[in-house]
Amino acid sequence: MNRLNDVTKGIWEKNPILVLGIGLCPTLAVTTSVSNALWMTLATSFVLIGSNILVSLIKNFVPSHIRIAIFITIIASFVTIVELTLKGFQPEVYKSLGIFIPLIVVNCIILGRAEEFASKNTVFRSILDAIGMGLGFGLTLTVLAFFRETLGANKLFGYTLIPGMKPALAMILAPGAFFTLGLMLWAMNAIKSRKKDKANGN
Amino acid sequence: MSGILKSTLIMAMVAFIASFALSHINNITQPEILKQEKEKQKAALKAVLPGYSIKEIKTAPADDSDFQYWIAEKAEDENIVNGYAFITEKPGYSGTVKTMVGIDNSGRILGISILQQSETPGLGARSVEISSTGTFFGALFGSSDKTERKIKAWFQEQFEGLDSGKPIEILKKGDWNESMKQELTEKNAISAITGATITSRTVKDSIEAGIKKLNKIIQEEKTTAEVPE
Repeated sequence: MNRLNDVTKGIWEKNPILVLGIGLCPTLAVTTSVSNALWMTLATSFVLIGSNILVSLIKNFVPSHIRIAIFITIIASFVTIVELTLKGFQPEVYKSLGIFIPLIVVNCIILGRAEEFASKNTVFRSILDAIGMGLGFGLTLTVLAFFRETLGANKLFGYTLIPGMKPALAMILAPGAFFTLGLMLWAMNAIKSRKKDKANGN
Repeated sequence: MSGILKSTLIMAMVAFIASFALSHINNITQPEILKQEKEKQKAALKAVLPGYSIKEIKTAPADDSDFQYWIAEKAEDENIVNGYAFITEKPGYSGTVKTMVGIDNSGRILGISILQQSETPGLGARSVEISSTGTFFGALFGSSDKTERKIKAWFQEQFEGLDSGKPIEILKKGDWNESMKQELTEKNAISAITGATITSRTVKDSIEAGIKKLNKIIQEEKTTAEVPE
Protein backbone atom coordinates (compact mmCIF):
# COMPACT_ATOMS: atom_id res chain seq x y z
CA MET A 1 0.00 0.00 0.00
CA ASN A 2 1.15 3.48 -0.80
CA ARG A 3 1.41 5.25 2.56
CA LEU A 4 1.79 8.66 0.97
CA ASN A 5 -1.60 8.25 -0.62
CA ASP A 6 -3.16 8.00 2.85
CA VAL A 7 -2.16 11.60 3.39
CA THR A 8 -2.62 13.10 -0.05
CA LYS A 9 -6.07 11.63 -0.72
CA GLY A 10 -7.47 13.91 1.99
CA ILE A 11 -6.19 16.97 0.21
CA TRP A 12 -7.40 16.36 -3.33
CA GLU A 13 -8.99 13.06 -4.31
CA LYS A 14 -11.15 12.72 -1.19
CA ASN A 15 -11.11 16.30 0.08
CA PRO A 16 -13.61 16.20 2.95
CA ILE A 17 -15.40 19.40 1.94
CA LEU A 18 -15.10 19.62 -1.82
CA VAL A 19 -15.48 15.93 -2.66
CA LEU A 20 -17.08 14.14 0.29
CA GLY A 21 -19.23 17.15 1.10
CA ILE A 22 -18.97 16.77 4.87
CA GLY A 23 -18.05 19.28 7.55
CA LEU A 24 -19.78 22.12 5.72
CA CYS A 25 -21.16 23.82 8.83
CA PRO A 26 -17.85 25.17 10.21
CA THR A 27 -16.67 25.73 6.64
CA LEU A 28 -19.41 28.22 5.96
CA ALA A 29 -19.50 29.73 9.43
CA VAL A 30 -15.97 30.44 10.59
CA THR A 31 -14.35 31.48 7.33
CA THR A 32 -14.89 35.19 7.93
CA SER A 33 -11.18 35.62 8.59
CA VAL A 34 -8.05 33.67 7.80
CA SER A 35 -6.97 33.50 11.43
CA ASN A 36 -10.36 32.03 12.39
CA ALA A 37 -9.97 29.43 9.65
CA LEU A 38 -6.48 28.49 10.82
CA TRP A 39 -7.52 28.12 14.46
CA MET A 40 -10.52 26.06 13.43
CA THR A 41 -8.24 23.82 11.37
CA LEU A 42 -5.91 23.38 14.31
CA ALA A 43 -8.74 22.52 16.69
CA THR A 44 -10.44 20.13 14.28
CA SER A 45 -7.19 18.42 13.28
CA PHE A 46 -6.29 17.84 16.93
CA VAL A 47 -9.65 16.21 17.58
CA LEU A 48 -9.41 14.24 14.32
CA ILE A 49 -5.94 12.86 15.01
CA GLY A 50 -6.78 12.06 18.64
CA SER A 51 -10.02 10.31 17.84
CA ASN A 52 -8.53 8.40 14.90
CA ILE A 53 -5.71 7.08 17.11
CA LEU A 54 -8.03 5.98 19.91
CA VAL A 55 -10.65 4.50 17.63
CA SER A 56 -8.11 2.41 15.72
CA LEU A 57 -6.54 1.30 19.02
CA ILE A 58 -9.78 0.00 20.48
CA LYS A 59 -11.38 -1.20 17.25
CA ASN A 60 -11.07 -4.85 18.23
CA PHE A 61 -12.75 -4.50 21.62
CA VAL A 62 -15.74 -2.47 20.54
CA PRO A 63 -18.96 -4.40 19.92
CA SER A 64 -20.22 -3.14 16.58
CA HIS A 65 -23.73 -2.21 17.74
CA ILE A 66 -22.50 0.34 20.30
CA ARG A 67 -19.56 1.65 18.29
CA ILE A 68 -21.17 4.98 17.35
CA ALA A 69 -21.87 5.79 21.00
CA ILE A 70 -18.29 4.98 21.93
CA PHE A 71 -16.83 6.97 19.03
CA ILE A 72 -18.92 10.00 19.95
CA THR A 73 -17.83 9.77 23.58
CA ILE A 74 -14.19 9.77 22.47
CA ILE A 75 -14.74 12.66 20.04
CA ALA A 76 -16.67 14.71 22.60
CA SER A 77 -13.87 14.22 25.14
CA PHE A 78 -11.28 15.58 22.73
CA VAL A 79 -13.51 18.51 21.84
CA THR A 80 -13.96 19.34 25.52
CA ILE A 81 -10.19 19.29 25.96
CA VAL A 82 -9.84 21.74 23.06
CA GLU A 83 -12.63 23.93 24.39
CA LEU A 84 -11.25 24.19 27.92
CA THR A 85 -7.71 24.76 26.72
CA LEU A 86 -8.69 27.53 24.33
CA LYS A 87 -10.92 29.16 26.95
CA GLY A 88 -8.11 29.18 29.47
CA PHE A 89 -5.13 30.04 27.32
CA GLN A 90 -6.46 31.64 24.12
CA PRO A 91 -9.60 33.52 25.24
CA GLU A 92 -9.58 35.77 22.16
CA VAL A 93 -9.66 32.78 19.83
CA TYR A 94 -12.34 31.14 21.92
CA LYS A 95 -14.41 34.31 21.72
CA SER A 96 -14.21 34.62 17.95
CA LEU A 97 -14.90 30.93 17.23
CA GLY A 98 -17.59 30.79 19.90
CA ILE A 99 -20.18 28.07 19.53
CA PHE A 100 -18.28 26.40 16.66
CA ILE A 101 -15.72 24.90 19.05
CA PRO A 102 -18.25 22.69 20.90
CA LEU A 103 -19.90 22.00 17.54
CA ILE A 104 -16.76 20.17 16.36
CA VAL A 105 -18.38 17.16 18.07
CA VAL A 106 -20.95 16.97 15.30
CA ASN A 107 -18.50 17.69 12.50
CA CYS A 108 -19.13 14.75 10.19
CA ILE A 109 -15.50 14.62 9.09
CA ILE A 110 -14.42 13.28 12.47
CA LEU A 111 -17.13 10.68 13.00
CA GLY A 112 -16.94 9.86 9.29
CA ARG A 113 -13.23 9.12 9.41
CA ALA A 114 -13.59 7.13 12.65
CA GLU A 115 -16.30 4.98 11.08
CA GLU A 116 -14.92 4.68 7.57
CA PHE A 117 -11.19 4.54 8.15
CA ALA A 118 -9.88 4.34 11.72
CA SER A 119 -12.15 1.47 12.77
CA LYS A 120 -10.77 -0.64 9.91
CA ASN A 121 -7.10 0.30 9.71
CA THR A 122 -3.91 0.34 11.77
CA VAL A 123 -3.01 3.18 14.12
CA PHE A 124 -0.24 4.43 11.86
CA ARG A 125 -2.42 4.58 8.78
CA SER A 126 -5.20 6.24 10.80
CA ILE A 127 -2.81 9.00 11.87
CA LEU A 128 -1.79 9.56 8.25
CA ASP A 129 -5.44 9.65 7.23
CA ALA A 130 -6.24 12.19 9.96
CA ILE A 131 -3.33 14.41 8.95
CA GLY A 132 -4.41 14.29 5.31
CA MET A 133 -8.03 15.04 6.11
CA GLY A 134 -6.97 17.85 8.44
CA LEU A 135 -4.81 19.36 5.72
CA GLY A 136 -7.58 19.09 3.14
CA PHE A 137 -10.06 20.68 5.53
CA GLY A 138 -7.58 23.40 6.48
CA LEU A 139 -6.57 24.27 2.93
CA THR A 140 -10.17 24.58 1.79
CA LEU A 141 -11.04 26.74 4.79
CA THR A 142 -8.00 28.96 4.34
CA VAL A 143 -8.63 29.60 0.65
CA LEU A 144 -12.30 30.31 1.35
CA ALA A 145 -11.44 32.61 4.25
CA PHE A 146 -8.77 34.38 2.20
CA PHE A 147 -11.30 35.42 -0.46
CA ARG A 148 -13.97 36.30 2.06
CA GLU A 149 -11.72 38.38 4.28
CA THR A 150 -9.94 40.26 1.49
CA LEU A 151 -13.07 40.96 -0.58
CA GLY A 152 -15.62 41.20 2.22
CA ALA A 153 -13.70 43.13 4.84
CA ASN A 154 -10.77 44.57 2.86
CA LYS A 155 -8.49 42.93 5.39
CA LEU A 156 -5.97 40.17 5.83
CA PHE A 157 -5.08 38.84 9.28
CA GLY A 158 -6.99 41.82 10.68
CA TYR A 159 -4.94 44.44 8.84
CA THR A 160 -6.50 46.77 6.29
CA LEU A 161 -5.43 46.00 2.73
CA ILE A 162 -6.31 49.11 0.77
CA PRO A 163 -6.98 52.08 3.02
CA GLY A 164 -10.24 53.86 2.31
CA MET A 165 -11.77 51.25 0.00
CA LYS A 166 -15.29 50.03 0.79
CA PRO A 167 -15.40 46.23 0.92
CA ALA A 168 -18.09 44.07 -0.71
CA LEU A 169 -20.08 43.40 2.42
CA ALA A 170 -21.99 40.41 0.99
CA MET A 171 -18.77 38.40 0.89
CA ILE A 172 -18.38 38.42 4.67
CA LEU A 173 -22.03 37.42 5.17
CA ALA A 174 -23.50 33.98 4.55
CA PRO A 175 -24.07 34.47 0.78
CA GLY A 176 -20.36 35.19 0.30
CA ALA A 177 -19.52 31.83 1.83
CA PHE A 178 -21.89 30.02 -0.54
CA PHE A 179 -20.64 31.92 -3.60
CA THR A 180 -17.01 31.22 -2.84
CA LEU A 181 -17.58 27.58 -1.97
CA GLY A 182 -19.58 27.15 -5.17
CA LEU A 183 -16.81 28.67 -7.26
CA MET A 184 -14.24 26.47 -5.55
CA LEU A 185 -16.33 23.37 -6.30
CA TRP A 186 -16.65 24.46 -9.91
CA ALA A 187 -12.90 25.06 -10.21
CA MET A 188 -12.11 21.68 -8.71
CA ASN A 189 -14.53 19.81 -10.95
CA ALA A 190 -13.32 21.70 -14.01
CA ILE A 191 -9.73 20.66 -13.31
CA LYS A 192 -10.80 17.08 -12.66
CA SER A 193 -12.84 16.71 -15.84
CA ARG A 194 -10.07 18.28 -17.90
CA LYS A 195 -7.65 15.71 -16.50
CA LYS A 196 -10.11 12.95 -17.27
CA ASP A 197 -10.59 14.16 -20.85
CA LYS A 198 -6.86 14.20 -21.33
CA ALA A 199 -6.53 10.67 -19.97
CA ASN A 200 -9.29 9.48 -22.28
CA GLY A 201 -7.81 11.24 -25.28
CA ASN A 202 -4.46 9.58 -24.86
CA MET B 1 -27.89 -11.67 27.75
CA SER B 2 -24.13 -11.78 28.07
CA GLY B 3 -23.94 -9.59 24.97
CA ILE B 4 -25.90 -6.83 26.62
CA LEU B 5 -23.82 -7.12 29.77
CA LYS B 6 -20.57 -6.92 27.83
CA SER B 7 -21.72 -3.89 25.85
CA THR B 8 -22.87 -2.15 29.00
CA LEU B 9 -19.56 -2.80 30.72
CA ILE B 10 -17.53 -1.55 27.78
CA MET B 11 -19.67 1.56 27.39
CA ALA B 12 -19.43 2.26 31.12
CA MET B 13 -15.68 1.84 31.02
CA VAL B 14 -15.28 4.23 28.09
CA ALA B 15 -17.49 6.80 29.83
CA PHE B 16 -15.55 6.37 33.07
CA ILE B 17 -12.17 6.89 31.42
CA ALA B 18 -13.48 9.91 29.50
CA SER B 19 -14.88 11.58 32.62
CA PHE B 20 -11.73 10.83 34.56
CA ALA B 21 -9.52 12.42 31.91
CA LEU B 22 -11.80 15.42 31.49
CA SER B 23 -12.01 16.12 35.20
CA HIS B 24 -8.23 16.37 35.24
CA ILE B 25 -8.17 18.72 32.26
CA ASN B 26 -10.84 20.78 33.95
CA ASN B 27 -8.76 21.03 37.12
CA ILE B 28 -5.83 22.34 35.12
CA THR B 29 -7.72 24.86 33.03
CA GLN B 30 -10.35 26.11 35.49
CA PRO B 31 -8.09 28.52 37.43
CA GLU B 32 -6.84 29.97 34.12
CA ILE B 33 -10.38 30.48 32.86
CA LEU B 34 -11.43 32.23 36.08
CA LYS B 35 -8.33 34.39 35.95
CA GLN B 36 -9.09 35.41 32.38
CA GLU B 37 -12.63 36.41 33.27
CA LYS B 38 -11.49 38.42 36.27
CA GLU B 39 -8.85 40.19 34.25
CA LYS B 40 -11.34 41.02 31.55
CA GLN B 41 -13.69 42.56 34.08
CA LYS B 42 -10.85 44.47 35.70
CA ALA B 43 -9.71 45.86 32.36
CA ALA B 44 -13.29 46.82 31.52
CA LEU B 45 -13.73 48.60 34.86
CA LYS B 46 -10.53 50.52 34.27
CA ALA B 47 -11.73 51.55 30.84
CA VAL B 48 -15.17 52.73 31.92
CA LEU B 49 -14.04 54.44 35.14
CA PRO B 50 -10.71 56.04 34.26
CA GLY B 51 -8.92 57.43 37.29
CA TYR B 52 -11.36 56.00 39.80
CA SER B 53 -10.69 53.37 42.40
CA ILE B 54 -13.31 50.76 43.13
CA LYS B 55 -14.85 51.00 46.57
CA GLU B 56 -17.67 48.49 46.56
CA ILE B 57 -19.29 45.83 44.45
CA LYS B 58 -23.01 45.50 44.91
CA THR B 59 -25.77 43.38 43.55
CA ALA B 60 -29.33 44.54 43.65
CA PRO B 61 -32.34 42.43 42.78
CA ALA B 62 -33.91 43.84 39.61
CA ASP B 63 -36.98 42.91 37.59
CA ASP B 64 -35.52 40.10 35.51
CA SER B 65 -32.04 39.28 36.74
CA ASP B 66 -29.67 40.56 39.37
CA PHE B 67 -28.24 43.97 38.67
CA GLN B 68 -24.54 44.18 39.41
CA TYR B 69 -22.93 47.55 39.97
CA TRP B 70 -19.77 49.08 41.32
CA ILE B 71 -19.27 52.20 43.40
CA ALA B 72 -15.97 53.93 42.82
CA GLU B 73 -14.41 57.14 44.05
CA LYS B 74 -11.84 59.66 42.94
CA ALA B 75 -10.24 62.62 44.67
CA GLU B 76 -11.02 65.84 42.83
CA ASP B 77 -10.14 69.29 44.21
CA GLU B 78 -9.90 67.99 47.76
CA ASN B 79 -13.33 66.43 47.41
CA ILE B 80 -14.11 62.82 46.91
CA VAL B 81 -16.46 62.27 44.02
CA ASN B 82 -18.29 59.07 43.31
CA GLY B 83 -18.49 57.18 40.07
CA TYR B 84 -20.61 54.20 39.19
CA ALA B 85 -20.23 51.29 36.84
CA PHE B 86 -22.77 48.65 35.99
CA ILE B 87 -23.34 45.75 33.65
CA THR B 88 -26.38 45.87 31.42
CA GLU B 89 -27.63 43.63 28.66
CA LYS B 90 -30.22 43.40 25.92
CA PRO B 91 -30.80 40.99 23.05
CA GLY B 92 -29.14 42.29 19.89
CA TYR B 93 -29.39 41.05 16.32
CA SER B 94 -28.08 37.62 17.30
CA GLY B 95 -27.66 36.86 20.96
CA THR B 96 -27.26 39.02 24.02
CA VAL B 97 -25.10 42.11 23.98
CA LYS B 98 -23.56 42.71 27.40
CA THR B 99 -22.11 46.11 28.12
CA MET B 100 -20.34 47.67 31.06
CA VAL B 101 -21.03 51.36 31.55
CA GLY B 102 -19.31 53.89 33.77
CA ILE B 103 -20.95 57.17 34.76
CA ASP B 104 -19.87 59.98 37.06
CA ASN B 105 -21.75 61.83 39.76
CA SER B 106 -23.54 64.16 37.38
CA GLY B 107 -24.71 61.34 35.11
CA ARG B 108 -22.12 61.91 32.41
CA ILE B 109 -21.04 58.70 30.71
CA LEU B 110 -17.35 58.11 31.33
CA GLY B 111 -16.97 55.14 29.08
CA ILE B 112 -18.54 51.91 27.94
CA SER B 113 -17.08 48.51 27.23
CA ILE B 114 -18.92 45.78 25.38
CA LEU B 115 -18.15 42.59 27.28
CA GLN B 116 -20.01 40.05 25.23
CA GLN B 117 -21.63 40.02 21.81
CA SER B 118 -22.19 37.59 18.98
CA GLU B 119 -23.30 39.99 16.28
CA THR B 120 -22.68 39.55 12.56
CA PRO B 121 -19.01 39.78 11.63
CA GLY B 122 -18.38 42.84 9.49
CA LEU B 123 -21.59 44.51 10.68
CA GLY B 124 -22.70 44.40 14.31
CA ALA B 125 -19.43 42.88 15.46
CA ARG B 126 -17.77 46.12 14.41
CA SER B 127 -19.08 47.50 17.71
CA VAL B 128 -15.99 45.96 19.31
CA GLU B 129 -13.67 46.45 16.37
CA ILE B 130 -10.64 48.59 16.94
CA SER B 131 -9.83 50.48 13.76
CA SER B 132 -6.20 49.83 13.04
CA THR B 133 -4.23 52.60 11.44
CA GLY B 134 -1.75 50.14 10.02
CA THR B 135 -2.37 48.34 6.73
CA PHE B 136 -1.53 44.75 5.86
CA PHE B 137 1.32 45.70 3.56
CA GLY B 138 2.54 48.15 6.17
CA ALA B 139 2.61 45.42 8.78
CA LEU B 140 4.26 43.04 6.34
CA PHE B 141 7.10 45.37 5.51
CA GLY B 142 7.33 46.87 8.98
CA SER B 143 6.54 50.41 7.89
CA SER B 144 3.32 50.89 9.82
CA ASP B 145 3.71 53.23 12.73
CA LYS B 146 2.97 51.44 15.92
CA THR B 147 2.74 54.48 18.15
CA GLU B 148 -0.75 55.33 16.90
CA ARG B 149 -2.28 52.07 18.07
CA LYS B 150 -5.74 52.66 19.38
CA ILE B 151 -7.11 50.64 22.24
CA LYS B 152 -10.76 51.57 22.01
CA ALA B 153 -13.37 50.78 19.41
CA TRP B 154 -14.76 53.95 17.82
CA PHE B 155 -18.32 52.84 18.38
CA GLN B 156 -17.73 52.60 22.11
CA GLU B 157 -15.54 55.66 22.33
CA GLN B 158 -18.27 57.98 21.09
CA PHE B 159 -20.41 57.31 24.18
CA GLU B 160 -17.83 59.08 26.33
CA GLY B 161 -19.06 62.41 27.59
CA LEU B 162 -22.73 61.90 26.71
CA ASP B 163 -25.33 63.03 29.21
CA SER B 164 -27.21 60.01 30.50
CA GLY B 165 -29.94 62.25 31.91
CA LYS B 166 -31.13 63.11 28.42
CA PRO B 167 -32.16 60.61 25.77
CA ILE B 168 -29.33 59.50 23.52
CA GLU B 169 -29.99 60.05 19.82
CA ILE B 170 -28.79 57.75 17.06
CA LEU B 171 -27.65 59.44 13.86
CA LYS B 172 -26.65 57.66 10.69
CA LYS B 173 -23.45 59.38 9.83
CA GLY B 174 -21.22 56.42 9.12
CA ASP B 175 -17.99 55.67 10.90
CA TRP B 176 -17.18 58.03 13.69
CA ASN B 177 -14.28 60.42 13.43
CA GLU B 178 -12.95 63.41 15.33
CA SER B 179 -14.73 65.97 13.12
CA MET B 180 -18.16 64.61 14.12
CA LYS B 181 -17.44 64.93 17.79
CA GLN B 182 -18.78 68.43 18.25
CA GLU B 183 -22.06 67.85 16.46
CA LEU B 184 -22.66 64.58 18.26
CA THR B 185 -21.94 66.06 21.67
CA GLU B 186 -24.29 68.96 20.98
CA LYS B 187 -27.09 66.59 20.01
CA ASN B 188 -26.22 64.08 22.74
CA ALA B 189 -26.01 61.52 19.96
CA ILE B 190 -23.95 58.65 18.61
CA SER B 191 -23.31 57.62 15.05
CA ALA B 192 -24.70 54.16 14.27
CA ILE B 193 -22.63 51.44 12.66
CA THR B 194 -23.50 51.30 8.96
CA GLY B 195 -25.76 48.33 8.30
CA ALA B 196 -26.03 47.47 11.99
CA THR B 197 -28.63 49.85 13.33
CA ILE B 198 -30.11 47.09 15.48
CA THR B 199 -26.82 46.51 17.28
CA SER B 200 -26.29 50.24 17.74
CA ARG B 201 -29.79 50.66 19.11
CA THR B 202 -29.43 47.64 21.39
CA VAL B 203 -26.33 49.08 23.03
CA LYS B 204 -27.96 52.48 23.41
CA ASP B 205 -31.20 51.04 24.80
CA SER B 206 -29.40 48.77 27.24
CA ILE B 207 -27.36 51.70 28.52
CA GLU B 208 -30.47 53.80 29.04
CA ALA B 209 -32.26 50.94 30.79
CA GLY B 210 -29.23 50.31 32.99
CA ILE B 211 -28.96 53.95 33.98
CA LYS B 212 -32.62 53.98 34.92
CA LYS B 213 -32.11 50.96 37.15
CA LEU B 214 -29.01 52.44 38.73
CA ASN B 215 -30.70 55.77 39.46
CA LYS B 216 -33.60 53.98 41.06
CA ILE B 217 -31.33 51.93 43.28
CA ILE B 218 -29.27 54.94 44.32
CA GLN B 219 -32.46 56.84 45.09
CA GLU B 220 -33.76 53.99 47.21
CA GLU B 221 -30.50 53.76 49.08
CA LYS B 222 -30.56 57.45 49.84
CA THR B 223 -34.09 57.34 51.26
CA THR B 224 -33.33 54.34 53.42
CA ALA B 225 -30.15 55.99 54.65
CA GLU B 226 -31.93 59.19 55.56
CA VAL B 227 -34.72 57.59 57.54
CA PRO B 228 -33.42 56.17 60.80
CA GLU B 229 -34.84 52.83 61.84
